[in-house]
Amino acid sequence: MAEAASGSAASSAPSAPRLSRGVLGAGADALAMALAVVAVAVLAELFAGAAFQRVVTHAAIMLTAVLALQIFSGNTGIVSFGHAAFMGLGAYVTGILTMPASLQATALKQLPAFLGGYELPFLGAVAVVIVLGVVVGLVTGTPLLRLGGSSASIATLALLIIIYTVLVAGREITRGSQPFYGVPRDVGLWTAVPVALVAIVVARLFRETPIGLSARAAANEERGAAAVGVDRRAAWLASWVLSAVVAMVAGALLASFLGAFSPKDFYFDLTFTLLAMLIVGGMGSSFGALAGVVVTMVIIEVSRRLEGGGTVLGVEVPTLFGLTQGALALAMLAIIWRRPEGLAGGVELDLLRRARRPLPRPAAEVPPHADVAPIVVMGLSKRYAGVVAVDDVTLVFEPDRTIGIIGPNGAGKTTLINMIAGDVGPTTGTVDVGQPTGVRSAAYVFARSGVARTFQNIRIFPRMTVLENVLVAARQVAPSLVAAEAAAVRELKRMGLDHLADRPATSLPYGLRRRLEVARALALNPRFLLLDEPAAGMNPVETGELIAILSAVRAERRIGVILIEHDMRLVMNLCERIVVVDHGRVIADGTPAEVRRNPDVVAAYLGSRTGARTMAASDASAEQSKGDQTDG
Amino acid sequence: MARIRTSRLAAVALAAAAVGAAPAAYAEDIVVGVATAQTGGLAPYDQPALAGLRMAIDEINAKGGLGGKYPVDLIIKDTRSDTAQTATVAQELVDAGAKIMISPCDADPSISIGQITQPLGIPTITLCGTAPVLTTAVGDVMFGSYPGDNAQATVVADFAIAEGKKTAFLLVSPDSTYTANLPEYFGTVFEKKGGKVVGRASFTMGQPDFSAVVTNIKNLPEQPDVIMTAAYEPDFPAFIQQLRAAGVTTPVYGADALSTPTIRGLGPLVDGVVYTAAGYAEPGSTLDAFNKAFEKAAGHAPESIYEANGYEIGLVLDEAVKIAGSDDPAAIRDAIAGLEDFQGVTGKITYAGTTGMPLRPVVLMRYENGGTPVYVKTETPAAADVPAP
Repeated sequence: MAEAASGSAASSAPSAPRLSRGVLGAGADALAMALAVVAVAVLAELFAGAAFQRVVTHAAIMLTAVLALQIFSGNTGIVSFGHAAFMGLGAYVTGILTMPASLQATALKQLPAFLGGYELPFLGAVAVVIVLGVVVGLVTGTPLLRLGGSSASIATLALLIIIYTVLVAGREITRGSQPFYGVPRDVGLWTAVPVALVAIVVARLFRETPIGLSARAAANEERGAAAVGVDRRAAWLASWVLSAVVAMVAGALLASFLGAFSPKDFYFDLTFTLLAMLIVGGMGSSFGALAGVVVTMVIIEVSRRLEGGGTVLGVEVPTLFGLTQGALALAMLAIIWRRPEGLAGGVELDLLRRARRPLPRPAAEVPPHADVAPIVVMGLSKRYAGVVAVDDVTLVFEPDRTIGIIGPNGAGKTTLINMIAGDVGPTTGTVDVGQPTGVRSAAYVFARSGVARTFQNIRIFPRMTVLENVLVAARQVAPSLVAAEAAAVRELKRMGLDHLADRPATSLPYGLRRRLEVARALALNPRFLLLDEPAAGMNPVETGELIAILSAVRAERRIGVILIEHDMRLVMNLCERIVVVDHGRVIADGTPAEVRRNPDVVAAYLGSRTGARTMAASDASAEQSKGDQTDG
Repeated sequence: MARIRTSRLAAVALAAAAVGAAPAAYAEDIVVGVATAQTGGLAPYDQPALAGLRMAIDEINAKGGLGGKYPVDLIIKDTRSDTAQTATVAQELVDAGAKIMISPCDADPSISIGQITQPLGIPTITLCGTAPVLTTAVGDVMFGSYPGDNAQATVVADFAIAEGKKTAFLLVSPDSTYTANLPEYFGTVFEKKGGKVVGRASFTMGQPDFSAVVTNIKNLPEQPDVIMTAAYEPDFPAFIQQLRAAGVTTPVYGADALSTPTIRGLGPLVDGVVYTAAGYAEPGSTLDAFNKAFEKAAGHAPESIYEANGYEIGLVLDEAVKIAGSDDPAAIRDAIAGLEDFQGVTGKITYAGTTGMPLRPVVLMRYENGGTPVYVKTETPAAADVPAP
């Protein structure tokens, strides 16, 4: 998972770090969590009896399983009900592969010959389980992740029922609903705990890897993620597969820990146990998974010892079976009431970030674009159930120029921009962005081929930090995380956001969110930048600052800017060419001076009183450099 | 001692409240560890049997303990109907010095416990588990107490042959051990004794539509003499209603799950249905006396035959310790395994020559005259007839 800084812009400096800041931080966190788990295990080994060691072993297995769930649900935001079934698959595979052949002959009389008699050691079985986990993850994830959000959740529930049914029906292999027994009980403290440590490291590092970042970005804001080049389905599928593998390994541990089990042990009860632990701790972070398992196990162990009755600290306690369930239920209620994001609040330990480590050095400025092909739009139309939003538009957008698209409300400007950005497929016509976009043309493909954009209503990733927001975009074009991080810092500095890098994006005020979105778009090192009302909702000072930065970047990097804006003064001052759209058609195209005098444009804007004033105002402002400001 | 060290760690790692909550045992006491479901889905099965066992232990302790010498310290822990928790609890009971272990009614947790007690040689008895595989999956320390599925099926098959039935149809469900295997055990014995299984159908538990199964039976070239199933509520009432509604009058035989008020309430529909029970409280019988004594001690009548079954576990342990003459687990195990024709509450119990599931009388009952249970007979299957699990 380590990212080498080869060939990056940042690596020109001799002291360039080998690991990205995020990965280093994750390593520190993972180390801290692992040390805590090892400390408990060592205490159990030295001071506790066999029974308490079993408790710790079981806790380590549950920790592995809950971390598996967190890898998927925590990074994609989709609650999975299917992970108990993956554990079941892992358990049965391990059971069959490790069972002594003599026992197989009596317990599994009808076992197909090719499955019998392996007698693998536990770790050998785990290796097979890992390979199978990848296969199972791909086979189940590919159809499942065509869905998103709650539909995907429901699909995981269906998956749980399907796998359970298959396990019950596969009587020759699984003994059906009867107990599967005779699995060598090889899992003790020092098998379960090391596996749990690996799971901690994997889960903690994963969210900082390019795939983990992409998965989280898509979970935060799907369209925003696509606009910076994130392939949601690929990122989520990777999370799903990794998560399935870890869950199946947890199942393998459980099989060897229990020795006897049946499909019902991997059904709703286990599903809800895993989910309850993750919800108590907080789904958003691996630290949450650890906290959830620890707190739940402590509650169970304490109340379990109390419910049998007896004398505790001199107080007579009556026998009260059911106390454990009661205590767990109360804990769940308390968490949902007081801390809906879980005990950890969805954040990681972030030890290094808390230690205020400085940002890495910004990457060198990118060289200006040269010989860039124009964006060519041919006969583009978009119809929504009879409404023609864009009607047979043919345009050429030259690079290295600022081109404004104006028009009355509902003229089809945003639809046009959405089609140029690949966000919306045209009904007829083609968009050629100068690079092949493949058969599966989608927003993320356009973004990776140099067409970046911002949105009218800002689409940043609220639950990620400011730096992570930009990092997601930068990594789509940078060769490594280290290079991407340096590039992200460069864009943050340019936008004056570098001092806020570790703040969650949701904490930024409106004006700074706009800047963050622009910084994110620039991190893609685009040839074209599509800005959908960049000045909306900002005061004149903020607008002025943003325009100054944008003009400077445009000039330095020779980026083509396509701009939708209602602020006529801004458009007339900034744009070298203006396209006027009305009722989905281009009604004028030319320099600001030409457009302003075009009678069709004036007529279109006369449709509303504001429009008339707008044209008059822009006219006046262009000639006298002052006039009324309108919102359009 | 391991338990003290556990407590010390608990004090360090958990909370001070966790210390030393387990009751202490006196030196001459024999610790009987009971890992049962106090909560969760298994609790309704474990609790009646446990109530019977407690009553037996109370009576035995009043007379000086097991074998008259070893007062019993019964340590009861909740498994929460969870297999992993069961294994942990069993280990704790072993650490607490258990020389005899009592496991839940279900097979998975019982096997899990057996895997802990087998290497230590601690005799382990399931409260009311009936899966015959339960004992062979573990080894020689594991014992059943209730008539096994195969034993019940043998008695029903013997009865069918005696009634002159020649052909049988089996209705199974792979959804549980009981519904999957009991009819097959019946089929094995039935065919061995000259009958013929002419067809099989499978159903999904909790799925009330039996139309496909009923059509299948109705369209058989020749109607079977008997339909054997281990279906229970809510499947059995749905099945018999749809079967009779389709005009099929073939008698239906079942097992011990059919003695419920709901099924009795079906009235004439269930007339002719033969089923099994672990005991029949004829007035004046020992079971009748037990039921009265239980009601006096517990304040309510037994909910089922499981109370008597649990009580018999206490009697078996008492007898085994008496024969062993010591509280050594290995000696007690050997004594249980050697029991022959031991007089329990419901009849004679034999472990000698079995794989751990006892041979004991199975009662046959039949619904007649609009759903009234009528006692047919009591039979103890011959060890050689009972099919291997």
